[in-house]
Amino acid sequence: MKPLGPRRRPIAWAIFLIVQTLATVFFVGDAAADYLAGQISAHLVFEMLVALALALGMAFGVMVLRQTLEEMRAQDAALATARGALADVIAAQFTDWGLTPAERDVGFLALKGLDVAEIAELRGRAAGTVRAQLTRIYAKAGVSGRAQFAAWFVEDLLGEGLDVDVATRE
Amino acid sequence: MTDLASSRLPRKGQALPSWDPLLRLAHWGIAGVVLANYAFTKEGGSVHIALGWAGMALLLLRLIWGFVGPREARFASFPPNPMAALRHLGGLLRGKAPQYPSHNPAGALMAYALWACLAVLMLTGLGMSGLSPFARADLEAAVAEGDWSVLVEEDGDAEGESPYGDVLEEVHEVAANLILILALLHVAGVAVESRALRRNLLAPMLITRRGRKG
Repeated sequence: MKPLGPRRRPIAWAIFLIVQTLATVFFVGDAAADYLAGQISAHLVFEMLVALALALGMAFGVMVLRQTLEEMRAQDAALATARGALADVIAAQFTDWGLTPAERDVGFLALKGLDVAEIAELRGRAAGTVRAQLTRIYAKAGVSGRAQFAAWFVEDLLGEGLDVDVATRE
Repeated sequence: MTDLASSRLPRKGQALPSWDPLLRLAHWGIAGVVLANYAFTKEGGSVHIALGWAGMALLLLRLIWGFVGPREARFASFPPNPMAALRHLGGLLRGKAPQYPSHNPAGALMAYALWACLAVLMLTGLGMSGLSPFARADLEAAVAEGDWSVLVEEDGDAEGESPYGDVLEEVHEVAANLILILALLHVAGVAVESRALRRNLLAPMLITRRGRKG
């Protein structure tokens, strides 16, 4: 059986919780009816124990589902923050390199993976103009070309991971 | 200066609520129970009673979720406020009403009204059927096996309680009809707001919204 993806987990928990609640409510109702009918016996004591177990399971399920939902939301938020942070890092670096507004736009588009023709079309400029802008960007950044330009930012993200790798190899 | 990195992200003011799976299952479960017991099951039969118990479990779970669930599911996120509800409906007529991270004020009132009616419906149902969810099923099983004596006993009991039972039945029926009217209003409200303001209120109740992709 394939393990549930993290996105499906809350749905599975919710279904479990509903089945658990159905069982609890039915069982508690039955036990209460027996109690009110005065049928107090070993059977009833056991029924109450089961009802208690079901209720505890329900409470536990509620807690877990709530926690799972909160964790998923925290992850989403962290991801959004990371995306925003990377954009901030790039913007700050562009400022550092002294890129003009036009070069910044071209630089962002290049980082997003668009090629010269696509950038030219998007900006309504000739391909030659975009190529010249890219060359100036690479010169200001001191990189040899597009691959090194993109790697400049990827390296920041990978930095620690690489350090560990190098350290273990030595 | 245009900042392409951020200007390309979707920007929609306040997002529509993303309802969690438990809330959605409870919502559609209760809707299904109400519809089935209104239209299909035999009144007072064992299936009717079993479905009623299932509805009670779902309502109980939803009410617990109103205290401990995620923010948009909590009662604190949508306090009953009739004035705000009227303002929201007025805004809807003029074609602009703000979006809310939980129920809008009119929807919140509707939710509380439905829950109140459901509670009355379930309590009166319990009053008629007795506390045991299986008593009626046991009775029907006994009759099916040819043991008619249980019916005599039952009739004797019902005779003694009959004035009380009539009131319960009356209230049960009124509550059921009220729920049906409220549910129709609820559906109409969702349709009107989705149409007038071009925001799909139905989708968040149907599917899990995936994490936004940049």
